[in-house]
Amino acid sequence: MDAGEIVGYIGVNGAGKSTTIKMLTGVLMPTSGEVRVLGRDPHKQRVDNARDIGVVFGQRTQLWWDLALIESLNLIAKIYDVPPDRYKNILDQFTETLDLGALLNVPVRNMSLGQKMRSELAAALIHEPKVVYLDEPTIGLDLIVKERIRDFIKAECGAKGMTVMLTTHDLGDIEELCQRVIIIDDGQVIYDGPIQTIKKRFGKFREISFDTMKEAKSLQLPDGAQVLSAEERKVHIRFDRTVSSASKVASAVMNQIEVTDFSLSEPDLADIVKQIYNGALEREAR
Amino acid sequence: MQTLQRRVSVYGALLAMIPKMFMAYQLWFWAGLVMNVISMSILYFFWNAVYAESGVISGLAREQTINYILLAFFFMPLASNDLVWEFGSNLREGLMVHHLLRPVNFQAMNYVQQFGAVLTRVTLQIPILLLGVFLFGLKIPTDLMTWLAFLVSALLGFTVMFFFTWFLACFTFYTTEIWGLGVLIEGMTFFLSGALVPLAMMPEWLRGIVLSVPFAQALAVPIGLLSGITPLGDAPRLWLIQIAWIIGMWIISTLFFRVAVRKITVQGG
Repeated sequence: MDAGEIVGYIGVNGAGKSTTIKMLTGVLMPTSGEVRVLGRDPHKQRVDNARDIGVVFGQRTQLWWDLALIESLNLIAKIYDVPPDRYKNILDQFTETLDLGALLNVPVRNMSLGQKMRSELAAALIHEPKVVYLDEPTIGLDLIVKERIRDFIKAECGAKGMTVMLTTHDLGDIEELCQRVIIIDDGQVIYDGPIQTIKKRFGKFREISFDTMKEAKSLQLPDGAQVLSAEERKVHIRFDRTVSSASKVASAVMNQIEVTDFSLSEPDLADIVKQIYNGALEREAR
Repeated sequence: MQTLQRRVSVYGALLAMIPKMFMAYQLWFWAGLVMNVISMSILYFFWNAVYAESGVISGLAREQTINYILLAFFFMPLASNDLVWEFGSNLREGLMVHHLLRPVNFQAMNYVQQFGAVLTRVTLQIPILLLGVFLFGLKIPTDLMTWLAFLVSALLGFTVMFFFTWFLACFTFYTTEIWGLGVLIEGMTFFLSGALVPLAMMPEWLRGIVLSVPFAQALAVPIGLLSGITPLGDAPRLWLIQIAWIIGMWIISTLFFRVAVRKITVQGG
């Protein structure tokens, strides 16, 4: 990964995402191969590495459950050796951007999930880490909090040039934040590149829907195309781009029936990821 | 020098958190206090009944034994720490990784926190101590050397138990089950630390067992010095034994932790 990048890291549950993060943070040692973070071996130089990284696990909290948020933050700033002036600045800034003002004196155990996640981000970034691992930072959050958290991550990265590795099942996060996506499956990287080219590479299927004058019955279609559903005056057809093409399918249909309108839909990221995940599940079943 | 200063500041801050965490649940504090008053009364009346027949048992007079038992009760936190619960709940909730990610020594951080817990618990028990003095005639020693010998021995004994429990806590990486282990350790601590019966009263074979496991190092040894049952002249020899225990326990606990921590992936912790 390059400095300043936000990389989305996705894969089915159990694909090895968290294990990767544990190796990158130095908690685990790789059984083979080598891991480098900022030029260091994170396991051998765990403490040095720890100082430069920040981690958020969406389903856990690193804050002290029974203490007011401000006390946790003070302690974390001490642990990471943040100079007091700098700390005050960042705290003020986070209080504003994450709207923490009313939360600083609330014990974490009394916070809602959204409040907790905002606090969590502040705690993970208060020492201005160079590398940040966000493991499902928006899990279970409502749309508004999600939005706010995405905006915050985007702004922080832009302003401070930190490198972010984002693990998520929420493709909205990926589409909004990441320029680059890595997909892993069973410990292997199966895709690494920009979001746009995933669609090209895995989006083998397209869908066309036609509005017809009459009911469409027993259509003859070219190879690689199949009818998904046919209602009274609507037909959905899916075709494989590597075997057929949109024009072949369209002309075949138009030759057989009168069409008033038709539309071609791009597969969205969610469909593609589902397709990839399904592949993984099928392999598992075998 | 700067690193030392930094360490003092970090560990000091960690230490300062502990009382706040204890006071987060005030009802617990009051409930604990009531419980302890009851337990202390039971111990007192039990030993009074034991001494009803004879004035001296195994060379200990009634006052000596009761003083020892009450002091041991007050300083019980020295022998018990929360490491097993700490490890277990951290693993179960997947928080172990977070702790391991801090740029501080994980074991040192825990040591400071457990030390803070002992200080807090003992401080919170002061009302009990006063009750012991006024109700049950507990005599608090006034000799400075006695206190000094006790404090050194208490710190060493606490450290022995810290490493020993650290070793035991590592089993939670494999079992994830903590309730049984925790209760077992608590029970063993109670019986084998010398909190219930002074070591001098134990039959030879039992004393042999007690002295071959670490529990007594944290309670019977320092309280023996404080209550005057053990002559002060024995203190240096006892300290050396405690130091030997620390070295042994430190080695096995560190080695075990290094192996056990690899289990962390399996539990997602």
